[in-house]
Order: sequence, then C-alpha cells, then structure tokens
Amino acid sequence: MAFEPRIVGFLCNWCSYTGADLAGTSRVKYPFNVRIIRVMCSARIDPTFILKALSDGADGVLVCGCHPGDCHYVEGNYKAMRRYALLKKTLRSLGVEEDRVRLEWVSASEGVRFGEVIADMTEKIRKLGPNRIKAELILDKAER
Amino acid sequence: MKECKIGVYVCNCGTNIAKVVNVEEVVESLGKMDGVVVARSYKYMCSNPGQEMIVQDIKNLGLNRVVVAACSPRMHEPTFRKALENAGINPYFLEMANIREQCSWVHDDAIEATEKARVLTSAAVRRVKYHEPLEKRSVPMCPATLVLGGGVAGLAAALELGDAGQQVYLVERENRLGGNVGRVDLTAPYLDSARDLLTEFITRANQNPKITVMIQSKLVELGGYVGNFQARVEDAQGDIIELAVGSVVVCTGYKEFDASRIKSLAYGWLPNVITSFELEGMIRKGKILTKEGNVPQYVALIHCVGSRSLEYHPYCSRVCCMTALKYAHEIKSAIPKSYVSDVYIDMHAFGKGCEDFYRRSTEAKTMFLMYEKGHPPRIREAGPDDDCGMFIWVKEQLSGEEIEIPADLVVLMVGMEPREDSEAVAHLVNISRDKHGWFIESHPKLDPVATTTDGVFIAGACSSPKDIPDTVAQARAAAARILAKIAKGEIWADAVYAEVDEDLCSGCRVCNELCPYTAVEYDKVKKRSHVIYAMCKACGACVAACPSGAIKARHFTDQQIFAQIEGVLPWHSNHVS
Repeated sequence: MAFEPRIVGFLCNWCSYTGADLAGTSRVKYPFNVRIIRVMCSARIDPTFILKALSDGADGVLVCGCHPGDCHYVEGNYKAMRRYALLKKTLRSLGVEEDRVRLEWVSASEGVRFGEVIADMTEKIRKLGPNRIKAELILDKAER
Repeated sequence: MKECKIGVYVCNCGTNIAKVVNVEEVVESLGKMDGVVVARSYKYMCSNPGQEMIVQDIKNLGLNRVVVAACSPRMHEPTFRKALENAGINPYFLEMANIREQCSWVHDDAIEATEKARVLTSAAVRRVKYHEPLEKRSVPMCPATLVLGGGVAGLAAALELGDAGQQVYLVERENRLGGNVGRVDLTAPYLDSARDLLTEFITRANQNPKITVMIQSKLVELGGYVGNFQARVEDAQGDIIELAVGSVVVCTGYKEFDASRIKSLAYGWLPNVITSFELEGMIRKGKILTKEGNVPQYVALIHCVGSRSLEYHPYCSRVCCMTALKYAHEIKSAIPKSYVSDVYIDMHAFGKGCEDFYRRSTEAKTMFLMYEKGHPPRIREAGPDDDCGMFIWVKEQLSGEEIEIPADLVVLMVGMEPREDSEAVAHLVNISRDKHGWFIESHPKLDPVATTTDGVFIAGACSSPKDIPDTVAQARAAAARILAKIAKGEIWADAVYAEVDEDLCSGCRVCNELCPYTAVEYDKVKKRSHVIYAMCKACGACVAACPSGAIKARHFTDQQIFAQIEGVLPWHSNHVS
C-alpha cells in the first residue's frame, strides 16, 4: 500500500481552528491526512505534545496559531514561536527532518490557506517517507 | 476513576455528513470500543428529538460520558452541554468530534472520510474518559455599557440601552455625533432627510440622563472580562477617565475608498472629478457647480469605485448603487436641463423599496451605461472646441460598443473600507478582523453581532458595508443581547481556567511573568503561585511553561490531550502498551 502520511495538527481555538472550520464551510478540499486537536491557544502546546505525537507514530506535526499581533490572548503565539524554535533545535539533534514539524499562522479568515498548508505539508512528508525516528523514540521511551 | 459509561452519537446532519461519511460504519466501529455502552446515529443530532435521545440514554442507561460526532464544537457544543445538564450530569462530560467542517465538507473520498471520522470520534471517546466535572463561575454583571462610535449604529445602540434605563457611555472620536450619515443629505430609496433621522437620535441621546456622551474622546485601554470590564477613556481635555462597564458595543463604522488610487479615473488631477461625499457637500450647500463655478450640463455617476474589483476591494459596498440613483434624482431636480449618465457594472437593488426606486429611476431621463468588471471607465479632458469639460470612455456591455460620453462633472461612487484605526480598535477590545480588515462576528448567520470575545459586540458598517436599516437593526440587536445579560444580573463564566497544585508548585514564578492578564499571583508567605480564577482566560500559556507540571488547564489537561493524540494515531496501541 502506498505511504499515506499521518499528520497531527494542534490548532488554536480562536484563529486556526476557526480557519479550518471556514475551509469546511467554504468546501475547500484538502488531503485527508491531517487530524486536528483543538487547544485554546498555541501557547498551550507543550513541546511534549509534539514529541508524544511523533513517538506515537505521527509522520508530521503541524502547529497553528493566530498571526503575530493577532493573538486572542495578546501574545500567546509569540510564546509558541519561541518554544517552537527551541524544540526544532532539539528535534534536529534527534534526527527529525525539518519538514516534519511545522509552525504556521492561520487566521480565522484563511480557510483557503489552511487547505493549502495541509496540501503542501502532506506532499512534503510524502516525499520524506514514514517517520523513521518513531521506532527509536519508542525504544527510548521503553527504556525510561 | 468511576467506571466510564460512554454514549456515542453520530450525526448525519441531513446529508451534510452522511453523503460522504458512512455514518453506520462509524457507529458500528465505535460501539465496540472499551467503555462505550451505546452508539447511535440520527439525522439531526442538534434537533429536539436528537437531544432527547441523548437525555433519555443518560437517564435510562446511566451514561456518565457523551461523545457527539457532528459539526464543529464552535457550533453546537453549548447545545449538547445543555442536554447533558438537562439529563442531570455535568455538562463538561461531553466531547465533540468535528466530522463536518473538518471532515465531510473537506474530503470527497468516502472511504478515507469514513476512516477519518471514525478515528476522530474514537479519539474523542479516549479523551472523554479523562473529563472531569467542572463548575461554572458566577460573576456579577455590571449593567453599564461602553459604546464606541457615535454614528447611527452607536446612537441606536445607546438609545436602546438608555431607554431601558441602563447607563451608557457613548464615546466618539470626532467633535460631533452622527458619523458618516451626518455627511449625507437625503437617504435612498425613500429620499428622507438624513439630518432629520440624525437630529432625532442625537437630541434623544443628549437628553437621556442615562447616556453620557463623550465627544473627542477615545478608548485607550480595556481590561477585565464580560460583565466586569475596566475601560480607560481619554476625553477632549486629555484626561483619562476610568469606567466600569459590563459590555462593549463597537460601532466604529467605515471610511470611504480613496479614489485617487485608481489613476484612470483622474481623481485629484481633473478638478471636476469628485467623490460621492463631495457631491453630498454640494447638495447640502444647495449648489451643484463645477470648480469653475458653472452649472454642469453633463453629469456622470460612476459606480463601484474601489468595490467589486480584484485590484482594490472584491466585495460590494452595498449602498452605492441606490445612492447613485438618489443623486440622479437630486441632480435632475436641481438642474432640470442636465443630462445624467449612470455608469454601472450591475445594479444591486436588493433592499426593501430599492427595486421600485430603480424602476422609477429608469423612467426618469437618466442614461444607463453598463461597463464590464475589469474594464473600468477612463476619464480624459475635453478639447477647447468641445461643449463639455471631459469625456468618459466606456466599454458598454449592452450595445457591445466602446463609446465616449461627455461630462462636466463626474461623481465617483466610492465604496466602503475599514477605517485605518480598525486594527488598533480590534487589539484594544480583543476581536478579530477578516482579510479586508472588517471585524469578524461570532457566527456570520446565527450570531452576527457577537464576537469571539464574550461581552464585546459589533454593530453596523465596522463588520462589513451596510445600509442604515441593517446598521440600526444590528445596533438594536446588540443592545438586546446586552439587556438580556443585564436582566440575568450575573454572568456564568466558562469553567475552563488554569489551576495551580500548590503541593507541586516550587514557587519558581516562571508563570507569573507569562500571564498576559496578570492572573497568576505569587503568595510571598506560602512561596507558591496561584491563579486568580476570575482573571484567567484559559489560554494555557502558564500550563505549558510550568517546569514542575503543577498547573492544570481545566478541560485541556495533559492527560486529556495525550489521550486524544493516542486516539488520532490509531495504530498507537500496536506499538506501545
């Protein structure tokens, strides 16, 4: 069977989840590969959520929040951005490819763009192939 | 944990979900999950019989958890929470799986969509097992309201509230009330005087002891939350006035499109090309004259200036077509011998009385010329031997010909656009804007005057171009929503907020600085931090940052989200115990 990437998307309630809903109401079509988990703010996204998703077999993890300056909670997206930068550094050292974990700003009016982000990410991960670090992380987890 | 008895309810949503997702397959698969006592489908879960089905199952089967797989939780989560409450269980024992907006409406492949719906629903089942009963917080509702903007929307909202005996602070930036309507002579389609409409509103607002009118004033800061906002308003003298209000209505209106952006229309270069608002000024002074002081023989009205254009604004500004017809009437009655041409794309006459007004206008001697979107008219200066000042080139659609028409005065029907300060206002009151800069409503059809910030409402043209009747209706609707909250006297704030486990807290104070609402307080005696619930807005920034894992985001706990992650990655169980 052809490889179908599994992408877990963590979306903030106010901008990105609403934008994903707008993609639906606008009947924008995008690949089925993403599964969305709603959080109140991108600042709630603990780096362990992303590690957990990768260790549980996600081929990609998408983090979406409001555009800089537009956060419902004033500056939560900036906090998410800083955490993301640190996490990316850690992931690099673990051998996780750049394109697997992605941060995108999607506003409540960007239904079309949300669809484009999913389509683009799905294609990039399809090219990368399955998450190879999965088994290693599971092993590491078992040892702990 | 008490044994979980979960009921799973999968909605067909008519055919909205069922035409792509095989609902019965989802029901069958979910019915086999651990802890699931009953799994059912129904054509409309949100309908009364649908909700009643859930209520009866809770009562008869002793369910203590409910999963509804249907539309977005942003749509019907409150509906189903209410159903749980009616059945006597805590409303937070509900979890929804979004299989419409984020599944059936975005995917065509029935097999993949069904699998995705199944997985999303099973993740909800895993999550709901960790849900905890939460109690909502009751906070008193301050009955005063802050109305931003003293145009027709702000006035209507203020009067509705003030007439009901509630305190209103009506804050207007300019030195007069009336907004853009105050710049208009007559209104379409009934040709009533705008001044008469406004004078009545303004007089009543000024005379109502419950309405405090503050002109040349602006909001500089808004803190607090629904029912308990603290507003800081800077008045004409530059003094800061602190106001306690329970609700805010944003009625900041629009500004007109800058016609000089369209070079082919020569605005700002040819002196007798003017905007609709400049014509209003002439009409109000009682003299329609060219810059040279002559009575114009040929007057042309050009529609959709800045509107319905991919280059400028793609939307329709809604009021300009009827306003142009109104000008045709006004020009004809002021200068009976004039020739009026009306250069349009399509005539949008959707409002009450508008089509009739259009029909009457076509019977008067106005020449209608239809131009094509993407081929806007071009204006050039006439020569010294011509009997007119300018010529307008039009690619006329009905005749199929390219023609030039004479003009001494050209009126550009400039569209509406968001004010320059709309971004600043959105930040002040914490609401969102769409890609054009208009404020976004909570739901475009079902909740058009509320916003995503509880207690902050929007009315009139600040959310999209609107005519006066729609603006007034929205303003009064916002006032009605506020009066309903005031009548209740208290606000039931969401039970979702952060909580510190003081036994785990090390007192490092990382969370103190992170909170944008200063809701996390450090107790110097206990050397522990704690959350002031009333001020917490549940973003969860502190939760993710706490190095001790001492802060819990109620209803978004680590356990709940972990369970959901495991759920959306279905082969998880094959690998990890």
